[in-house]
Amino acid sequence: MNQILSVTGAFKKYGAVTALRGANLSVNAGEVHAICGDNGAGKSTLIKLIAGVETPDAGTIEVRGTPVSFGDPQDALAAGIATIHQDLGLAPAMAIYQNIYLGSELSVRLAGIRVLQKRAMMRGAREILAKMNSVMTDMTKPVEALSGGQRQAVAIARALRWNAEIIIMDEPTAALGVRETKEVVRLINELRNRGATVLLISHNMADVIAVADRATILKGGRAVTSLSLDGVSADALAKMIMDGADDIEEA
Amino acid sequence: MKQLVAKYGTALSGLALFVVFLLFARNFASPANLLTVLKQASFLAIFACGFTFALLTSELDLSFASIASLAAVMVGWLLHSDTSWLIAVAAGLAVGTIGGLLNGLLVTAIKVPSLIATLGTASIATGTAFMVTGGVAFVGRWDASFLALARGKVLGIPFLIIIMFAIVAISWFVTRLTPLGVHMQATGEAEGAAHRAGIATKRMKLLGLTLSGAAAGAAAVLLVANLSSAAPQMAGDFLLNAIAAVLLGMTMFDPGRPNIAGSFVGALILAILANGLVLFGAPYYLQDIMLGVIVIGSVGVSASVLKKAAFSV
Ligand SMILES: Nc1ncnc2c1ncn2[C@@H]1O[C@H](COP(=O)(O)OP(=O)(O)O)[C@@H](O)[C@H]1O
Ligand SMILES: [Mg+2]
Repeated sequence: MNQILSVTGAFKKYGAVTALRGANLSVNAGEVHAICGDNGAGKSTLIKLIAGVETPDAGTIEVRGTPVSFGDPQDALAAGIATIHQDLGLAPAMAIYQNIYLGSELSVRLAGIRVLQKRAMMRGAREILAKMNSVMTDMTKPVEALSGGQRQAVAIARALRWNAEIIIMDEPTAALGVRETKEVVRLINELRNRGATVLLISHNMADVIAVADRATILKGGRAVTSLSLDGVSADALAKMIMDGADDIEEA
Repeated sequence: MKQLVAKYGTALSGLALFVVFLLFARNFASPANLLTVLKQASFLAIFACGFTFALLTSELDLSFASIASLAAVMVGWLLHSDTSWLIAVAAGLAVGTIGGLLNGLLVTAIKVPSLIATLGTASIATGTAFMVTGGVAFVGRWDASFLALARGKVLGIPFLIIIMFAIVAISWFVTRLTPLGVHMQATGEAEGAAHRAGIATKRMKLLGLTLSGAAAGAAAVLLVANLSSAAPQMAGDFLLNAIAAVLLGMTMFDPGRPNIAGSFVGALILAILANGLVLFGAPYYLQDIMLGVIVIGSVGVSASVLKKAAFSV
């Protein structure tokens, strides 16, 4: 298998709390990889190291076999890793196309002054969304007027605009209803079809089973197991997450 | 239809008000009076443009009028001591810009909330203005080229008005058509998201407050040239008037957002209203009451993004 991202022996302390104690992770290119575990297992912390939000106390992160060290999220982005946080990081009152191009607007220089190319951005935004089979007609609509699933689509479209190859999604379905959740599962499948690698944190076992190829189970800051989800049921996965506790205590 | 009312309702009401005054207020329609209205609107619009930039990044500037007064007495003082008028003008602009920059640094580097920081600098500026003048006004027969800044005419149009249009046009262009404008807006409306998208949000806030000061400096120079005098509280009345213009502006064109076109039309409406009320013989205190109603009413009726962002601390 073609490994795109790996974390080896990651340690991270917050004061007296040790959030990660030698966590490992190996992600293959083009897969949807779920990170599972109970509350406090260290999922968010592990993601933060990969996203450049936090720096590890010890351990190495490699992207495409090259060790990396991220000072901030922009560094991670430059390495092709984009994170979609639970709040999506969108500007609610701003237009769809403005959100997709936020911080990297298209512009032309006229007499030395940068002038926005609004039409080109609207066209580009519509194209990216269309590739994800997300139909939104009015690109000037504010994001706050969209459904939860559509907002996820906008956030993903922006990550794609940034040319991210690895997209991290932290609890993308936590705040969504059944229909919206289906939409997000569909979007994640679209991402995989386009060759992107997705790192998914979710509490919802059904979602994980529906969309992920493999999962890594964290417990007490360590990865207890990494497995293919072929033929694994949601109940079996939930049981493994609970049983992980026993493994640690025995070890 | 509802959208049209939301976008253009205030502007159309302003137009209706203008027509009523034209028809029923004695002398309102005289060319001399209309010019007075437009001049008054010009000062207001320049201050309002500056305040719009600060508010766009979700920061309040309550110091621009005091900073303008300080800049004005600096200009008066330099002219009075026979300094070249060009240097006096440069000094006026510099005082405004540096005052704004100081506000910006207090807010972004030391993290003093802008409401408090600018109240503080306002008081410092006022005190300094009294210190410079010893409490009296500078009045003089100053260089004609300086006075021409406000009173000179090109093709029959006063310079003051041309400068105002230039400032409004450039501000509109920057806010609507450049990446910088979008970055300032995003900073004001969703600072965290903007920051994570790689936008230098602190720099945007610094810029917004600095531009507010710079506009105040420009308005101050023009005020001095227009009145050929400089007094330590000469710009005081512009504080609430310019804020009212911006807030009224937020009920038009891009409802809920500070926007330059709205601020400009807001300034026009307030200047028309003030002038028309006087001509109608309305008592002097009515203006203050109207101003208060406009300030509260505009924020109250508009589903303002800033009601969520800036004012819900
Ligand atoms: N910023 C922080 N400061 C202190 N402790 C933290 C911080 N972030 C996480 N922790 C602690 O680290 C442990 C792992 O947290 P986290 O990575 O958020 O787990 P998960 O996402 O799996 O619920 C928890 O005990 C949590 O309380
Ligand atoms: Mg978490």
